[in-house]
Amino acid sequence: MQANIKVVLIFIGTFLLFQIEIKAQAAFDSLNLKKAKHYFKTTIFLDSYSKANQKFPKQKATKLSNDSIIDARLGSFGVKQFNIGFYTPIYTRTYYNRDSTVYSNTHYLLTGNFLSIQPSFDSIRKVHTLLKYGLGFRIIQNSGKKGVWFIDIQPFTTTDITTSTPNGYFRMANSFIYSHNYSAKFNMRFGITKSFMWGNRYYLPYLGVRWGKLDGVNFSIQIPKNISLNIPINDKIRFSIFTKPQGGMYSFLNNDSLYYFRPEVKSFNFTHYEILGGIRLDFALNKNFSGYIDAGSSTRSNITFYSTETSKRRPNVPYKVYFYERSLSPTGFLNFGLVWRFGKTKSFFNDRNMYDVFDINNVNSPGDVNSGPGNMEIPIKKSIKQSKLNLEDIQDLIDVTDQ
Amino acid sequence: MKAIKNILIILTVLLCITPSKAKAQRDKIDELRSTFIAKHLDFSSAESEKFWPIYNELHDKRKAIKKNLRQSLKNLPPAATDKEAEELINLENKSAAADAELTKTYNDKLKLVIGAKKLAKLKVVEEEFKLEVLKAAKEK
Repeated sequence: MQANIKVVLIFIGTFLLFQIEIKAQAAFDSLNLKKAKHYFKTTIFLDSYSKANQKFPKQKATKLSNDSIIDARLGSFGVKQFNIGFYTPIYTRTYYNRDSTVYSNTHYLLTGNFLSIQPSFDSIRKVHTLLKYGLGFRIIQNSGKKGVWFIDIQPFTTTDITTSTPNGYFRMANSFIYSHNYSAKFNMRFGITKSFMWGNRYYLPYLGVRWGKLDGVNFSIQIPKNISLNIPINDKIRFSIFTKPQGGMYSFLNNDSLYYFRPEVKSFNFTHYEILGGIRLDFALNKNFSGYIDAGSSTRSNITFYSTETSKRRPNVPYKVYFYERSLSPTGFLNFGLVWRFGKTKSFFNDRNMYDVFDINNVNSPGDVNSGPGNMEIPIKKSIKQSKLNLEDIQDLIDVTDQ
Repeated sequence: MKAIKNILIILTVLLCITPSKAKAQRDKIDELRSTFIAKHLDFSSAESEKFWPIYNELHDKRKAIKKNLRQSLKNLPPAATDKEAEELINLENKSAAADAELTKTYNDKLKLVIGAKKLAKLKVVEEEFKLEVLKAAKEK
């Protein structure tokens, strides 16, 4: 009998506790408050890159070769590139794991970019404008413990719009990366990425190591994306010293007789890559708007021309047999960009996994372009004394009902 | 030249669309609070990775309650009707109830993560933060 009473009392107690929990949820929900749904702000960035024209190095050819004929037809090589990219959160799921203390989240982002590149060959009468554009999708899963998973799918089209001749290729860049936060100061990433920034369609292993906190000085090696030493000065200014590859694979119309011994080919592939090394300065004008400028040296610059169409007719040779290839000597480059972030977000202060989520998203900038908005959304710690507070700032510390 | 002109136009437009001053001020305080707490509570790596997402969620909910109430207070017309006044009082009661329940629910969650001692210290540190900020603002 006594045992039965005990069971009933436990049941009633549990029921009452459950009721309180329901009421607690009900009390908050009954207010119908507007809450932020995502952690990511919608981010739009504009990026402009240029590199001065360089003459092709003279080849020691005893007889006239294809390369020297094309050299003469091209004259020199320089690059002007403009890119507009964006990412926007479309769905964010946040939830507690079973033990109700580990808070996980999954982010679904829509990405896109529109890149216009003008390879400048001074002997070609009409400058070619090559476009690369597409919409992509990425999923970032934050386990809430130590791991962050990153899946990125970036389909895009490349086309040469110099004339109305139809041309172009559909391509797909993608990445699958696992990031492990051993501690706030040490992170490693592993994965695979299909990228065109090395001038070809390579499947490359992704290996990343970072020493130092993301909201402090850190040294990051993210192969094949970049190697950088990041030095935040304050929440408005951040420096970094970096080296990274840049390049792509584009459709190029054969209307200048560059592929003169195959005039029937309407378009071919133009590929280029270079290794950039320099200094980048990120500056924030306010919470939503920032910019960056970087300059330095472009080395190992390489361009190639080849035709997929011709290669297909030769099944026994690799698809990328170039009919022209040239490497150029180092030169300077200038890159600058503007970044606009907007939207209401959930708080993520000191949440190192969320910082890692932002970093992995920014290192892998939309559109396989390898120049992105940077980590300005990660707050840099500062003390109260450094913060230039005034009385208006502190009004939120006073309870509304105290006023 | 045309490209530079276009960029300047875009820059001007974007600069005009800046976040509200109040929002920026609240963000500033939130950032400072989190730094202050991290500095004064010696969380282990494991505690830190669990604590901050929960604490941030609690903070977001509290902020939403305060903002909603503040907005309603601001919007109350000087010649408010009985019904309007009644609605505001109800909202204040509901907000207080929601806030109290949040405190209880999240205290339970945070206690599992950092333990009772550190949770109590957190409350002390939060109060110290307010005093420090008021002191800093007074010195300006």
